[in-house]
Amino acid sequence: MQTFNLETDLAGLKLKNPVITASGTYGFGEAYAPFYDPSVLGGITVKGITPLPRLGNPVPRLAETPSGLLNSVGLENPGLEAFLKNYLPELALLDTAVIVNISGFSLEDYALMASSFQRGCGIAALEVNISCPNIKHGGMAFGTDPKSAEEVITAVRKETDLPLIAKLSPNVTDITAMAKAVESGGADIISLINTLLGMQIDLNAQKPVLANTMGGLSGPAVRPVAVRMVYQVYQAVKLPVIGMGGILTWQDAIEFMLAGASAVSIGTANFGNPLAPVEILEGIKAYCNQRGYQSVKEIVGLAHGQKG
Amino acid sequence: MDLKEKVVFNERIGHPVQGLYKVVLSGEAAKTARPGQFLHIQVTDTSDPLLRRPLSIAGIDPERGEVTIYYRIKGKGTELLSRIPTDQYLSVLGPLGTGFSIPEKGELLLIAGGIGMFPLFSVIQAAQKVPVKIKVLWGGENKDFLDSADLNLLLQKGLDVELSTLDGSCGEEGLVTALLEKYLADKNTQQLLSKGLLRAAACGPNGMLKAVAGICRNNDVPLEVSLEERMACGVGACLGCVCTVRDANGGLKRKRVCKEGPVMNGQEVVWDADI
Repeated sequence: MQTFNLETDLAGLKLKNPVITASGTYGFGEAYAPFYDPSVLGGITVKGITPLPRLGNPVPRLAETPSGLLNSVGLENPGLEAFLKNYLPELALLDTAVIVNISGFSLEDYALMASSFQRGCGIAALEVNISCPNIKHGGMAFGTDPKSAEEVITAVRKETDLPLIAKLSPNVTDITAMAKAVESGGADIISLINTLLGMQIDLNAQKPVLANTMGGLSGPAVRPVAVRMVYQVYQAVKLPVIGMGGILTWQDAIEFMLAGASAVSIGTANFGNPLAPVEILEGIKAYCNQRGYQSVKEIVGLAHGQKG
Repeated sequence: MDLKEKVVFNERIGHPVQGLYKVVLSGEAAKTARPGQFLHIQVTDTSDPLLRRPLSIAGIDPERGEVTIYYRIKGKGTELLSRIPTDQYLSVLGPLGTGFSIPEKGELLLIAGGIGMFPLFSVIQAAQKVPVKIKVLWGGENKDFLDSADLNLLLQKGLDVELSTLDGSCGEEGLVTALLEKYLADKNTQQLLSKGLLRAAACGPNGMLKAVAGICRNNDVPLEVSLEERMACGVGACLGCVCTVRDANGGLKRKRVCKEGPVMNGQEVVWDADI
């Protein structure tokens, strides 16, 4: 088997390979360390951080749906100060790109978060979460209006020299309008999709299962939507795309890359199979090797034919 | 932690209407399992259901390399599990979570509601190896349930067991909490309490655990409870299965049922947290 180049360059964010983990599914890098060394991955994205600690939403926070999972965790996190003090030093030691997901409830929140992270602080990039469906203010509210999305990214861009990833919500009519807005705001990379807003009703109790009524749907049930959006955004903007949404296997990951994703992020799959990211990486290698590619970059966007 | 366990027994126990099953798994899990921990079991190779099933460990036999789990069919996942034949291998994460502590002396009072008895079976197994007296209070819906849920197994161990059923078909009529109040009011129990020689462990529905915690607080009985909550990852990553606890300063915080639990200090848990 010939070796080929797995390195992935996302507009300056350099990854050793194109497989990363999705925010909210990987803790702060410690949860899956007993299963494998996280350093084998291209990157890990840690749990979303807000300026102040958050208890998150009440339970039940989870509901299983056909090939999917609804969650309403509600951004439970220790807050910026505790993250910087208690988690960042350990994360900075990992030999992988550490991406920190930031959230807020106002432009000022996002700017404050961004100003706390600069090149050399131990992380590789910031993912700006403008798409969380599980908080009442901020989050998705910023991510469903192009003007607001651009404003957030512009505000964040002014405060940090780190590569900026804008995480988009699928809960919009036109995903390309959102992609163009964050490109104008100064994002370097786009990640998509966050969860789709959904709900489940308990037939016995005759009320919603989730304490928060609605939650974000993830898992293979959302994959066709995610692939479609990656395909559309790849055509609409020049920014590199990190594709995510129901990737369980290497075949799913390849599908996203053919649609236009330069890297893939593994989320809900971790819950059922802790080794999913590693198996997906091996599968990508084997697929590319068998087809004689020199670099993993060669398969990105192939489903489009010639771009442009 | 990521294991392949062989199914050596997987059969319905008791009356069909109760939907209770017992599965015995052979493999590595038995080597490190502790009472109150759980296994996160993959019941299908397909993506529906997507998640594993967290099931409490009821029996640990390190010599034979076997763990025993009881489960009740609740939905698609447990229904699929019930169909898995012997000699098949299952993908299992675990043993996971933080289990019960076993006191070295005095008396360990076990309070179970319904199928909450199952994880306490593993506590009994461990407690019988140390010089601690075991007292069991078990409440169920009716005699048929208690019989189906292996009451005889408990009685064969020669334990001091008191029972209650909602319809009075076995033991006292009423809730297990009534048994608890009566037992704590006994002068012999009060003597144990005054010497600090009584501890309690409970498992059952949240409403029962809340009531048990209240009674134990009023009587200064140290209490551990095993909690159940909808779970996704089982390893502390997703924050789906949290409970709310009050810390020493009176502040509220979350603990992960899969990681810091499922066994928690019963007096720390905030039972009606709508926050």
